[in-house]
Amino acid sequence: MIREYIPVLLQALVAVGFAAGALIISVLLGKSGLRTQTKDSAYECGMVPQGEAQPRFSVKFYLVAMLFILFDLEIVFMYPWAVVYREAVVHSHVIFWSMLSFVSILMVGYVYALKKGAFDWKK
Amino acid sequence: MVTLGDYLFVSGLLFTLGFAGVLLRRNLIIIFMSLELMLNAANLSLVAFSRFRTNSLGQPNYDGQVFVFFIITVAAAEVAVGLAIIVALYRARRTTHVEDINSLKF
Amino acid sequence: MIPAPFLEIAVLTWGLILLMVDAFAGKTDRRGVAIAGILGLLVVLAASFFLTPPTPAAASGFWSFYTADPLAIFFKRFALVTTILVLVMAIDYAPAIRMGVPAANPHAGLGEFFTLPIFTCVGLMWMASAIDFVMIFVSLELVTMSFYVLVSFTRRNPATLEAGVKYLILSALSTGFLVYGITWIFGVTGETNLTQIGTVLATQEIDKIPLLFGIALVLVALGFKIAAVPFQIWVPDVYQGAPTPVTAFLSVGSKAAGFVVLLRVLTPFLMLPQVGRLLVGVAALTLIYGNFAALPQSNLKRLLAYSSIAHAGYLLIGVVTFSGAAVAYYLVAYLLMTLLCFAVLVVVGNSGGSDQIEDFAGLAKRSPFLAFAMLIGMISLAGVPFTAGFLGKFFIFDAAIRQHQTMLVVIGVITVGCGFYYYLKVVRAMYWLTPPADSQPVPLSALSRLTMTLLIAAIFVLGVYPQPILNALDQPAARATISMFR
Repeated sequence: MIREYIPVLLQALVAVGFAAGALIISVLLGKSGLRTQTKDSAYECGMVPQGEAQPRFSVKFYLVAMLFILFDLEIVFMYPWAVVYREAVVHSHVIFWSMLSFVSILMVGYVYALKKGAFDWKK
Repeated sequence: MVTLGDYLFVSGLLFTLGFAGVLLRRNLIIIFMSLELMLNAANLSLVAFSRFRTNSLGQPNYDGQVFVFFIITVAAAEVAVGLAIIVALYRARRTTHVEDINSLKF
Repeated sequence: MIPAPFLEIAVLTWGLILLMVDAFAGKTDRRGVAIAGILGLLVVLAASFFLTPPTPAAASGFWSFYTADPLAIFFKRFALVTTILVLVMAIDYAPAIRMGVPAANPHAGLGEFFTLPIFTCVGLMWMASAIDFVMIFVSLELVTMSFYVLVSFTRRNPATLEAGVKYLILSALSTGFLVYGITWIFGVTGETNLTQIGTVLATQEIDKIPLLFGIALVLVALGFKIAAVPFQIWVPDVYQGAPTPVTAFLSVGSKAAGFVVLLRVLTPFLMLPQVGRLLVGVAALTLIYGNFAALPQSNLKRLLAYSSIAHAGYLLIGVVTFSGAAVAYYLVAYLLMTLLCFAVLVVVGNSGGSDQIEDFAGLAKRSPFLAFAMLIGMISLAGVPFTAGFLGKFFIFDAAIRQHQTMLVVIGVITVGCGFYYYLKVVRAMYWLTPPADSQPVPLSALSRLTMTLLIAAIFVLGVYPQPILNALDQPAARATISMFR
């Protein structure tokens, strides 16, 4: 059981080793250049950078992320449904209508979020 | 070979860590994360029970795995509502520390 | 003839339609949504009297999650009545919602405040029918999650937000316990269905220690829901901070659902004597704590919170003695008197602005009808004869004496005496204290007056004629279920 994981371990070792090696070699072989304020500033396609490097995100993003998680996770019920669908639909169409009703409840939630302006980032 | 007991031990550890986090931490967000950890502890042991309690045909007991789906979705909904309430609290009070939430007498 | 599951589907669909109406309604008045909700629930309530009788041996597929036995039907009606009354209160509470929700649109939030109780009602109805741990979990969470939103609804009020966060954390904690407990029960028995768990327990030799661990965790979680000591710490703060109609809903709906689940969950575990002893201890502690902690309270909502803990104690006596009919009757009496008190509290609180008992000073002179309604609610909560509250306690104590639970009866009677003191404190404020000089009569809408009159009448009618409730659970088909609780 554990033995089967040895390739995974090897791959992890190789990945870590490569990254560490590249860093070490660049320090050993590379020339350290002069540091000026212009060089240290963030590169913005030649423009003078504006604002901080880590700007604050609008809270709206939190709302979108939350809605994404909610709608995304409902997919979890569709996998087992899809697995048994072909066999079960022969006996009765309940399986089709139940998923349709589930999705339409999600649809109501989506329309609600839309109408309440949850996707309106400018507001 | 990993046994059922090992999974249950890890799951119990996760549950205890989550519970300890709820009791000891003072930041609401971290308390909320600890609560989710408790739910995931239950998920882990449900899957382990489902995998190791096979029926006469050697199939896992799928009831447990289906229950895990429900727990995951319910936990997501709980996080959505919970974080919204905590964000509302932060906007009103500029804090998420439990010591600062004491206007109702205890 | 309507199949029982259609009731929930109807309520759910109606709730979704109303939510859509609210989303597209723009700046029109939202009270129509509440009225439509009340009417819809009334139709479903009427429909619940024309159900197709459940097929007895259909314990597979859908029917292994869902039962339509008389206990379930009874508590479905209970949930519907509670939600209707809460919506009536919510209409009166609309001005406070307008002040409490920050938004440009003056009607923002009202639509949700009227539709969320409908979704809660669906959860309560499913909970009444749930006979599988998966179903119990999901419906319980539906109820809890809509309560998260409802409790912290007026988010401009810091106390409300604080109550919301406390409710959120402690409820989520109890959910964690519930899930972990179910996990262990599933691990030991390999089943999530309560009937099959009972079969496994009766027929197979199983490991008792992990099973008891699981049951204990589940009982802790249900203890949170029904507010039993030592899991009552959230109750006073949340009840005080939440919007008043929500407090009423929490104290009646959430608690009743907790008791239904408790009755159902305990059924397969009756053969374990440890569970019984544990429940007796919890009942005694709950009675003592709830009643004595209520004595010094000066805020009426907080007083009702402690009284709600105390009533959970009486109900637990009923659970310990497995008298399903007594528990059902007590819950109905509790519904009537608690919602009556909260209805008066909503109206008076709207005009006065706070929920202190001093605000009720001289209410009898300002608004005799409201004072009378509150008087009836209080004496029924205290347990004065000829009210529903008295008969409820009588049935519970009767069952306890038959089961030789003398200690519980003694504690119960002493704490009832305690109850008289703090309930009558409110009555004294209303009838014997002089009102402040600038006091005005409290305005009362026709709908609320009608509702209160009906509640008062029901308290007296059920107080002398309890048969309708007792019979509701005692139909021939129901005998099997109830005999399990006896």
